[in-house]
Amino acid sequence: MPEVRIKTLPPPHGGKLVERVVRDPQMAMKLMQKCSAVYDIKPTLFKGNPVRNVYREIMSVCYGFFSPVEGSMTKADLESVLEKRRLTSGWVFPYPILFDISEEDFKKLGVGAGDWLLLRLKGEPFAILEIEEVYEIVPGDVAVRTFGTPEKNPEVVKVPFDQKHTGYNIYCSLNPIILAGKYTIINEPKLRPPFDRFWYPPKRCREEFEKRGWTTVIAHQTRNVPHTGHEALMKNAAYIGDVKPCDGIVVNAIVGAKRIGDFPDEAIVEGHEMVHLAGYIKPERHLVTFTLWDMRYGNPIESLIHAVIRQNMGISFHMFGRDHAALGEYYDIFATQILWSKGIPSFGFNEPPYMVEGGFYIRPQNIEEFWFCPKCKEFAYSANCAHKGIYSRYSGSFIRGIINEGVMPPPEIYRPEVYKVVVKWWQKFGYPFNNEKYLKEREERLEVDLPHMELPAHLKK
Amino acid sequence: MAKFFGVVIDETRLKAIKGTPLEEKVEPIFGGALKRLVLEVPDDLGQKVIDQFTKARFDARGFIEETPASFKRLVFKKILEMKSLGPEVMEAALAEIPSIKDDIAKEDKELPVPDIDISDVLELQKNPAQKPA
Repeated sequence: MPEVRIKTLPPPHGGKLVERVVRDPQMAMKLMQKCSAVYDIKPTLFKGNPVRNVYREIMSVCYGFFSPVEGSMTKADLESVLEKRRLTSGWVFPYPILFDISEEDFKKLGVGAGDWLLLRLKGEPFAILEIEEVYEIVPGDVAVRTFGTPEKNPEVVKVPFDQKHTGYNIYCSLNPIILAGKYTIINEPKLRPPFDRFWYPPKRCREEFEKRGWTTVIAHQTRNVPHTGHEALMKNAAYIGDVKPCDGIVVNAIVGAKRIGDFPDEAIVEGHEMVHLAGYIKPERHLVTFTLWDMRYGNPIESLIHAVIRQNMGISFHMFGRDHAALGEYYDIFATQILWSKGIPSFGFNEPPYMVEGGFYIRPQNIEEFWFCPKCKEFAYSANCAHKGIYSRYSGSFIRGIINEGVMPPPEIYRPEVYKVVVKWWQKFGYPFNNEKYLKEREERLEVDLPHMELPAHLKK
Repeated sequence: MAKFFGVVIDETRLKAIKGTPLEEKVEPIFGGALKRLVLEVPDDLGQKVIDQFTKARFDARGFIEETPASFKRLVFKKILEMKSLGPEVMEAALAEIPSIKDDIAKEDKELPVPDIDISDVLELQKNPAQKPA
């Protein structure tokens, strides 16, 4: 009989966890000496509003969330990702990771292949980009090829992407010059509260699992304050495991620039934390974490970056629900589950991503839906409950709508403690959701502060 | 496929429709924890609503969501006036959007914070299970 017990955490995607963070100030100074120019990181703007900040990608690369990616992609890697959803090394990777810069800034910097560029964030040295290649892109073309089209990807893409899609706008708003090469953080940022207590980069996360004795762990992707349907999903999906249900449930929030109308990230991470502080899941079995990433809302494509991140964190299973990381009706609502159950050939997957070469160890837990059924008197699983016409389906936007109208959600929808976390941040920001003011202020504040670090003399000019 | 527009019915709204044929159309949701009236609108009319507001969208259930609260109030007003849940209610509400433009603009900036006591969660947060590294 085969042994079914899972005894170890899955290996990092690509075989080795990337960690490119220099913590020795003398070494940092040595590396800065090799830089020939300084560049202040700027947010990517769409119609004047911040939609992305490349610093988040640099953090996620250097702390290993995106292993085996080590920096801004070369043209060959970019083409390979857009064509096959694979790096040139053969490992599955879904999104272009790029350091883009305007022609004007490029001319001013006067750098080229072989040069090192010091990247400054919030006025302080932050990271180094070892420029390996400089090339140009057509941002609109990258955007279309990233998300697919109904003609090329008829299995799951229903309508062409347009300016109502945040992820599409991110790629359309990139600058045309790409500086490709490895990133190294040389001045480790300090995470701001409340994010600091949820910062579990892959290395720390794996250490935490070992400390807790976890070998079977399931990931819950979130961009929402959890309602009771999310809680039912987490608890029930975690019954997968080996000889017993999963040891741990890891919530991994995607933190970054988001859509107007989403919940603020502060409320999202603290809302999930409240699920264990208020005792709905024991804290010994529940870990709230986040990854810095400006969400692309790419449904099946986004599910692949989630698999990269969570496998690198040491997670063995991943919940995928309907409309996973989706926005609007661009993709089939079950596109992610199609990908993870039979594959999507037009995106380079003749089989599910855990069966292809260069794919994942992490396994999907494709969940249909939970709804509230007054006859079952429970959060019923859609494949079980046959009480058509009386159950109530969950909808994040419906819940945001009742909050917006000033109606307190009943406990059947929101745990009262979780709703009070929303109110806490509502008091602070004057608004329960992301609005233009919040997004702009948030972009100045970011999620990190940087310690002061002196520049070498030759870069002070 | 038709689209839907839900209006949450609280105590005040329930009083306003008491004794009218609308009262019978109130649906309980989440086991009766909430009540609502549902308008069914044709696709093109649903799309017209979405086009009016930047955040508005159809959710996975086919409901028009994330419209401003002042628009929902306007739709309820029109339901009351017309004593109907037909598409003409939505047509009438769309025609009156200019009258609530200022309210909508204000809503995007500020919403009054609910007056509830949150001291119990602040207490719980004083001793988090997860600590910074």
